[in-house]
Amino acid sequence: MEETRIVHGYWELSTFNFNIEARGINLMLEGFKEKKLKGIKCHQCGMVYLPGPFYCRKCHVNIDEPVEISDHGTVRTYTVQYADIRGEPMPEPRVSAMVQFDGCDSWVMGVVQCDPKDIHVGMRVKIKWKEQTVGNMQDMEAFVPE
Amino acid sequence: MRNVGIVGVGYCPRFVSKRTDVCIPEMVSEAVEAAFADCGLGPEDIDAVIFGNMHPFEGVNMPHLWAVEHMRALGKPVMRIATGGTTGMTAFHAAYYHIVSGLHDVVMVVTFEKHSEGDAQVGLLGIITPEAMAMMMAGIDLTGAGGMGAQGGGSAGAITYQAVSWMHKSGATIDHIDAIAAMERRNAARNPYAHLKDPEATPEKIAKTPMISYPVRFGHVCPTTDGATVCILASEERAAKIADKVAWVWGVASCASDPTTGNLIEGLITDPAEQRQCVIAAQEAYKRAGIEDPKKEIDYVEIYNGFAHQTLMYLELVGMCEVGEAHKLLEKGELEISGRLPVNASGGVVSTNAIGTSALNRVTECALQIMGKAGERQVEKEVHKALAHGWGGLMQYVSITILADKPKKL
Ligand SMILES: [Zn+2]
Repeated sequence: MEETRIVHGYWELSTFNFNIEARGINLMLEGFKEKKLKGIKCHQCGMVYLPGPFYCRKCHVNIDEPVEISDHGTVRTYTVQYADIRGEPMPEPRVSAMVQFDGCDSWVMGVVQCDPKDIHVGMRVKIKWKEQTVGNMQDMEAFVPE
Repeated sequence: MRNVGIVGVGYCPRFVSKRTDVCIPEMVSEAVEAAFADCGLGPEDIDAVIFGNMHPFEGVNMPHLWAVEHMRALGKPVMRIATGGTTGMTAFHAAYYHIVSGLHDVVMVVTFEKHSEGDAQVGLLGIITPEAMAMMMAGIDLTGAGGMGAQGGGSAGAITYQAVSWMHKSGATIDHIDAIAAMERRNAARNPYAHLKDPEATPEKIAKTPMISYPVRFGHVCPTTDGATVCILASEERAAKIADKVAWVWGVASCASDPTTGNLIEGLITDPAEQRQCVIAAQEAYKRAGIEDPKKEIDYVEIYNGFAHQTLMYLELVGMCEVGEAHKLLEKGELEISGRLPVNASGGVVSTNAIGTSALNRVTECALQIMGKAGERQVEKEVHKALAHGWGGLMQYVSITILADKPKKL
């Protein structure tokens, strides 16, 4: 069967520039400096978001009440990753989870430092903070068993 | 309102990893010709064309314009649809709206994907742009340990959280995911338009495939496929003249959730297995179709299952069984081609995934079962009513179509 001719093409994706609302992130990162989780509570429905949007998606009202959330929580779902995004084997299996922190309604994703055999839904974890926190995402080193 | 029916279905001759013998418009043309041959219509009979694919997969921004002659659409209205995995079914719904509105009588849906000409990972990353934006707005680091990098394996990554959460709620185990994957590969072997076929597939064989990210194994994941599907719909008056066998549209519905991995209908990132939008869309479709008890009234189901656990999870969410019951139906053999509630006799999306076609194929496979034209994959029981499910958007859009063997009483 005669094959079609192949013409190579590519998209230059690096030239897109998107604006995003960053107040919720900034509030959270400020909290990181003091090793605290800071979210936003809706005054109308009581929902606690982490990180906080300044608009309740449930009530469709503007919200701005900062609230401190415990850095202890419960694993709601998890995975143990054996291959990377291109399917290549990982050097070590990596455990990650969606965690619901006490007093918060959102679930937060992150790496869990534990034996892959131990991870389970309902497992109690806490945040392992970097010794020196500076207000960026890396301050939250991992989740570790309580 | 008036009745609308499916009068013709056409697939390109084979759904495989690489069609190097045809270009995109030529592959589209094959499916158009097959659909015309199926119902005896020609270009002059078509009032309007709806086109569906996901452009990031091939990097072709307006393939419907490139393919306009090949899909015999010169001089006709053409509308293009892109809703992620649900694209094919949304295109079908658009065609239904064209006819039910009374504006057109015969409308053709044309869908394709030719993954071999693009990069599926780049395509998926393009699709998740709004999710990435939402995650950044939520302060989630996209590249570091806390972000999508932590989810592993691209699209398979986010789905792993869904699979674990569903297993926890339903009581199913990874053995059930192996078993449903094996069933679908065996079903695919009976379908000439399926991609990954294995008549000898067993749960044990699937269990030997490498673990990507627990509990998702290589054997649980859809392939990237080249393929095209066409479906022709007509008003009741015209359908009666065109075809002896018609699959009638009784109810359609769709529902969106928020643009993140979790369930955000409630307004926050939570359980990716909750998929409230599926429950809402199914209930709305049942209401429109006048179906009171889907467990009793629906004979056949096609589920959009990019990943094997989703067959079982969505069976529960569309209300075909209770939560925690789907894997028990599987154990009893009820989901097989010979079973009481046959599901995905086609082999499902997990066996064949040319994304633009995948949600439309759920509809066309239901139609072929109703018409009795499904060949070797025809289920043993009589199919009077069938439900087609489409899952797409990012992870947060679901479409439902209910078909029947008779026109609906209006
Ligand atoms: Zn609220």
